Amino acid sequence: MTGGIPGGRPPGPALTGHEVAAAGTPPTIIEARDVVKSFGQTPALRGASIAAGAGEIVAIMGPSGSGKSTLLHCLAGILAPDEGEVWFAGQRLDTLPETRRSEIRRDRFGFVFQSGQLVPELTAEENVALPLLLGGARRAAALKEARPWFGRLGLDGMERRRSGELSGGQAQRVALARGMVARPEVLFADEPTGSLDSVSGELVMSLMTRATREQGTTVILVTHDARVAAYADREVVVRDGTVSALAVASSGAPQ
Amino acid sequence: MIRLGLRLTVSGGREALVRLVILTAAVGLGVGLLLTAVSATNAVSAQNDRYAWLDTGAPSPSQPGAGGGQNGPAAPLWALVTTDYFNGQTIYRADVAATGPAAPVPPGLPRDPGPGQYYISPALSALLPTAPAGELAGRYPGHQAGLIGQAGLPSPSSLVIVVGRSAAQLEHLPGATEVTSFNTTSPAACNPNNNCVIRGGLGSNGTDFVLSVVALALLLPVLIFIGTATRLSAARREQRFAAMRLVGATPRQISLIAAIESTVAAVAGTAIGFGLFFVLRLPLAAIPFTGQPFFPAELSLSLADIVLVAVGVPAAAAVVARWALRRVNISPLGVTRRVTPLPPRAWRVIPLLAGLADLGFFAVHGKPASNSGQDAAFTVGFALIMIGLVVAGPWLTMAGTRLLARHASRPGTLIAVRRLGDDPRAAFRAVSGLILALFIFTVTAALITTQDTKRVSADYNAAVRNTLVDQFSNVARGVIRSQTASASLPPGAVLTRLRQIPGVQGIVEFHTDPGQTISLPQLALPPGFPPPAAALVSCAQLAATPGLGRCPAGAAVAETTAFLGEAPSGNLAAFTWPAADVPVTRVDSLPLASLNVVTNGSQGTVEQARTVLENAYPTGSGTPYTVGEDRTKGNAALDAYQQLADVIMLTSLTIAGCTLAVSVAGGLAERKRPFSLLRLTGAQLRLLRHVIVLESAVPLLAVAAVAIGIGFGASALYSTMEMQLTLVSPSAAYYALTAVGIVLALAVILATFPLLRRITGPETARSE
Repeated sequence: MTGGIPGGRPPGPALTGHEVAAAGTPPTIIEARDVVKSFGQTPALRGASIAAGAGEIVAIMGPSGSGKSTLLHCLAGILAPDEGEVWFAGQRLDTLPETRRSEIRRDRFGFVFQSGQLVPELTAEENVALPLLLGGARRAAALKEARPWFGRLGLDGMERRRSGELSGGQAQRVALARGMVARPEVLFADEPTGSLDSVSGELVMSLMTRATREQGTTVILVTHDARVAAYADREVVVRDGTVSALAVASSGAPQ
Repeated sequence: MIRLGLRLTVSGGREALVRLVILTAAVGLGVGLLLTAVSATNAVSAQNDRYAWLDTGAPSPSQPGAGGGQNGPAAPLWALVTTDYFNGQTIYRADVAATGPAAPVPPGLPRDPGPGQYYISPALSALLPTAPAGELAGRYPGHQAGLIGQAGLPSPSSLVIVVGRSAAQLEHLPGATEVTSFNTTSPAACNPNNNCVIRGGLGSNGTDFVLSVVALALLLPVLIFIGTATRLSAARREQRFAAMRLVGATPRQISLIAAIESTVAAVAGTAIGFGLFFVLRLPLAAIPFTGQPFFPAELSLSLADIVLVAVGVPAAAAVVARWALRRVNISPLGVTRRVTPLPPRAWRVIPLLAGLADLGFFAVHGKPASNSGQDAAFTVGFALIMIGLVVAGPWLTMAGTRLLARHASRPGTLIAVRRLGDDPRAAFRAVSGLILALFIFTVTAALITTQDTKRVSADYNAAVRNTLVDQFSNVARGVIRSQTASASLPPGAVLTRLRQIPGVQGIVEFHTDPGQTISLPQLALPPGFPPPAAALVSCAQLAATPGLGRCPAGAAVAETTAFLGEAPSGNLAAFTWPAADVPVTRVDSLPLASLNVVTNGSQGTVEQARTVLENAYPTGSGTPYTVGEDRTKGNAALDAYQQLADVIMLTSLTIAGCTLAVSVAGGLAERKRPFSLLRLTGAQLRLLRHVIVLESAVPLLAVAAVAIGIGFGASALYSTMEMQLTLVSPSAAYYALTAVGIVLALAVILATFPLLRRITGPETARSE
């Protein structure tokens, strides 16, 4: 654990008991119920429901424009749904004030998006330490917590580089380290390999699954790539704003 | 969090550094100008007060000894303050006679000079030995007792002399007054009926005027510059803030970081502004924009001024940064933007119309009676118009864009029109400083040209220009109001001494013609101007003195203007004055209106003649001036306004140019990726240049036309109301300079083309 890092995971609250239908799955930690979301006149979600258990990796698949990223944003408390509910660890997330949702994102969630997520003014290690710094950690303590991630993710020697000095794969691994540094309960990954070649993409995915499984972190993974989705425990398909199909992944990671 | 904010501010890479430097420079410029304006106001006020002691007592010409507010029957000091002139410079002269040991002492003097002594200012002390005694020193009886200290000088270069006389010499002289103390603050207003003797300095109205002009014409363009610099790299910063929001930064934390960034620039800019002010203080103090330089120490700031600026500017920057973020509403997914931004609404022209309505109301119903009321009316009107131009600019840009859109067919035009239509506010922001500068330029050019119709423009032949006129009558509004006691015929000895001066070509006496005015078609008076007072002159004297006109054949006496400088312009040598049906003997018995000494124009001759006249008539109603000198003095105020207008124009145009350059370059930097992608897809650089030029040229030309039109309209209303003159079209130079200004603005845009080529290369599309 973070050893006094304010941004670290607090003792987890009791789960709600809302569980995925399948028997034997872990208790639900995050869930969207009948979520509706529109942008102007354009509907993105038309009553989507999804739930993920603790430590589970769930892939959300679907064609472009189906609403899968919007669903992830609603689950992460980034977007407030027009209708429906979002629950996280026993509390209603979508009705919380923005400041409280920011704090949950900082302390209990992690994010890996397709691109544009690193702060270009900061070095790689400062980017990784950013959630801890935002949580009030002292700089030295935050950096000390951040540095081990560089070795774990094959980024040794990259600590002082800026985002412009990293390759796409390296930048995604830095983003992954940043997403994991505060030991989140849920990691949201939106097309994390979308801008990478297949080799880099597989490296990022294997590191991600390994790190999240080590920490017991739930992963909500949005992708349209079946090879990426294959790393998940379970797949759901979003089509026309609704979760239209459920599928169970084979083994969690292609060999 | 503060450390993180500082870290992001100072080590944010080259782009962030450029932004920080430009913002700091903009704030520094603004603070420097603000401090200069505040200190100049303090200095003008201090200089006004330094003139105050010279305005002690009332110069009622016909009532000797009838003093103003500071006198009384038991006053122990007689004082007579007059102005003198030497080689284009005014000399302030105070003749004093102490009646006892408790007599008040003028400021800057250790004691009152006794009869035969004088104290002089350092500048006059340095000047005296440079001229022959007969030209200057001969005017001042006695010997130098010492120098006048700073307390008695309006300015370091002031020419002041305090001459000691006996009470018996002064007490019967017109204008002499008994005083028990000297003024320490300048009178609130000066007119012939209150206690202003020399009316030195700008006065409080002048101070208000300078402050208003500086505030409106300089600070507003600077504020626009600061606003433009603040928005530099806005998209990049918003992207960074969004990334931070994604990982859990709260809106409050983002506001704090943004406020730290702005505050760092504001603190650095404020420090630079103070540095700029203190470095430029000495050279600024030496600029005689009130006619005299300032004592450098008086171009100063009070503690309240310093605290207000040093704390207020950074605090304002922090507040503005927070306010700006509230508007952009950064979410974890990036800046929340409407898909189709609402177009600017027509209400934006309301402040502009309100400003015009303000001026129009007073033009129709008459201006307020008080000076402060007039200042308030004009300042509010012009401020509303200037703010109105900035507020209405986006709406006008949108209107211009819609016109252009009807004819848009080329891809460059289509892209530019789409962008202008999407965000006319951003497009106008780049040229808003220039629009204000054009408005200010139009108003100043139009008003100064109109005011110039009041300029004493009559040109005379050399004999008239070089004639030294000692005026004995107080002429105002076309009639002789009063006569000084000295207006008797000059003693023969004086005339002899004048004629003995090398270069004196003749002397002509103008005698009063009580109650009469002279109307001549050649006078070409402006409408509403009263005809000048008339005088009578002996035809024999006119005939003996070439150059001042002649009499009709057979006439013995001619009627002239009481003051030679009001004669019809042109070559007076060929002009025939109308005959007067008055016997010569009757003329000789009338008091003198003026004594006219025709000289060859050399400085030595003029100053010697002036010295003789001043010694002969020490309390004449005015200093003897040549007609040419009178022209120069009369136009000095107009020249000063012109100078002020030139400085303001140059400064505001420079600031506007900086704003435009920063805005266009910043806009390019923000769009380098889409532009580079366009180039990758085959768009030629020429097309991008077309887009850039159109995006700036459309708002520039559309709003410039309105700004110039509004400028003429506002000037017409102001000139009707305040100057009672019909607006006159500026000279061709104005139109040429306006065209040059617009061309230069376009040149600034063209100057960014090399940047466009460099930053839109294929590597940008890859690396961004």
